[in-house]
Amino acid sequence: MSPATSVFRKILMGSATAVGAFLLYLLIPAISFAAEPQTVEQTAWWIWMLLLFAFSFVLGIFSVLAGVGGGVLFVPIVSGFFPFHLDFIRGAGLLVALSGALSAGAPLMRKGLADLKLGLPMALVGSISSIAGALAGLAMPANIVQLLLGIAIMGIAMLMMKSKSSGLIDHQEPDALSKMLGISGVYYDEVTKKDVSWQIHRTPMGLVLFMFIGFIGGMFGMGAGWANVPVFNLLMGVPLKVAVATSGLVLSINGAAAAWVYIFKGAVIPLIAVPAIGGIMLGSKIGAKLLTKVNTRSVRMIVIIMLVIAGLRSLLKGFGI
Amino acid sequence: MIMDKNKKSQGIDNVQQVYAKVLENASHVGFALLIGGYFVYILQLLPLSIPIDVIAGNWHLSAAEMQQKLNTPSGWSFFATTAMLMKGDVFSSLSIYYLATATIFCLLFTIPAYIREKNYIYTTIAFFQIAVLLVAASGIIN
Repeated sequence: MSPATSVFRKILMGSATAVGAFLLYLLIPAISFAAEPQTVEQTAWWIWMLLLFAFSFVLGIFSVLAGVGGGVLFVPIVSGFFPFHLDFIRGAGLLVALSGALSAGAPLMRKGLADLKLGLPMALVGSISSIAGALAGLAMPANIVQLLLGIAIMGIAMLMMKSKSSGLIDHQEPDALSKMLGISGVYYDEVTKKDVSWQIHRTPMGLVLFMFIGFIGGMFGMGAGWANVPVFNLLMGVPLKVAVATSGLVLSINGAAAAWVYIFKGAVIPLIAVPAIGGIMLGSKIGAKLLTKVNTRSVRMIVIIMLVIAGLRSLLKGFGI
Repeated sequence: MIMDKNKKSQGIDNVQQVYAKVLENASHVGFALLIGGYFVYILQLLPLSIPIDVIAGNWHLSAAEMQQKLNTPSGWSFFATTAMLMKGDVFSSLSIYYLATATIFCLLFTIPAYIREKNYIYTTIAFFQIAVLLVAASGIIN
């Protein structure tokens, strides 16, 4: 192991331990609830903003290394950590996911990895349901949303533990709908130095699942890359790289649709949203640089543990414990 | 393997190139506005409609409770008066609005490109997608 790799690993493990310890602390409601009122009143707003920026920065690094979007980590973890109401955290979470997708979109489209013809039909059904999800989520009492969020987060953690994305795809016959829509593509794989052509199948089932995913994403203010990618890759036969990139494209449209609902309900506060966006985006850039230097499997395991703890915390809050 | 006749030699759709170009420009402008707007807000370079301390003192409330208590402007109500637009917090909010609108710009540019390609299925999909986003941005459904 090179010295640089060793240093990166130490930094990463140190951050993980600190975040984990804090999350464990938060998991003990008696301690955290006792401390909360004092902390909120006595801490100046700008300290919370700096903490939010720093925390989002660390989440940005972890999200890239673990291969998940920042949005999925942001909402459950920040809701257990900061004094903001869940409405504002979900509003910021949606914008975090939207901003990440917007900033990465253009280069991925130019490389042929994000595919507009694949993404647009899925985004159309997903954006309608994400609006419905956002309206439903903001109409529900906070404790019910916390409870459902806890269940969803535990489900995502399970999915991350069990899912095996497929880099190699089976070339099955395209279905009638994908033929009609002309969904197929070619991209240049920089690893194999070859053009890879692809086509899809099970498009109708994919559309139904994207509708469901859109609803969940809108309701909890999370990005939905954790669900988009397996549906594209494992169900529809889209190559993994195209699935990841096109998931961002879908997210940028679904996130924008749901974001308007949060904006009109007053759930987007720039004071909270902007440091979160800035932190995650900066962290993601650092994470992308570290990607080849650290063991991403270990990071993925750390993220799963973080999600389980955040999910438990959310469940406890939902039950009023 | 089905190959679309409109794909370039590199395999990239013409319309996709248009979308990518608009997205790149729109997101660069968006992030510059986001950062600029936030500094104008927190450094209070312009007067604020609601002081930061007041927001911070109430951010534990739900969005509905905060709106009711502080009468915070939301949606397009910022545009009710020109004086409102010269507030630091409003300026920062508008930068977020711009980001949420960026995909509409991208889709608007794809429609003429799809029409030129005589791809009426995707022209329709793009049209409906814009309609969905505009309905959301109009606030009608709220």
